[in-house]
Amino acid sequence: MNAFEIASVGLLVGLVPLLLVAVRGGPGDGLVALELAGAIVVLALLCLAEGFHRSVYYTVPVAAAVMSWIGGLTVARLLGRMP
Amino acid sequence: MSNLAVDVLLAVGVAAELLCVVGVVVMRTTLDRLHYAAAGTTVPAFLVLAAVLVREHLSSGGLDAIAAVGLMFLLNPVLVIATARAAERLDAPERE
Repeated sequence: MNAFEIASVGLLVGLVPLLLVAVRGGPGDGLVALELAGAIVVLALLCLAEGFHRSVYYTVPVAAAVMSWIGGLTVARLLGRMP
Repeated sequence: MSNLAVDVLLAVGVAAELLCVVGVVVMRTTLDRLHYAAAGTTVPAFLVLAAVLVREHLSSGGLDAIAAVGLMFLLNPVLVIATARAAERLDAPERE
């Protein structure tokens, strides 16, 4: 394993506590955990793309950055309208 | 030399990101947690980007990495504000 693959594993380990926060906390806390999880996944994908030395893989974190932002914004808007 | 730079940048970047995770776990209110979640897309992301750029320079991969981190950095404040507003509304009945 090279440094980038080890870094991606370290980043992905950080998703476990966030999952616990999302499960045990309220809806707002879950959304915050989801936002940070999105950022972590983007960085982990970036590290994996570099670790595997495949330039085509760099498209995935770009798409993940946009999609996680859209998803988070949608959930935030829906939570804001909850009765 | 560049290997050492990559290792240091990645170690500090991952440690900073995990520090943000710890902050989200430890803090009690949603708004306090939001501070740490917002910080996760700033310094740690740029440290990881710097590590990638040391290897890739300004190739297509490096430009894609700049796009990914740049999008995250520029778009995340919108998400943070929307989340803060939603959290305010969710917490409002508890305060009354």
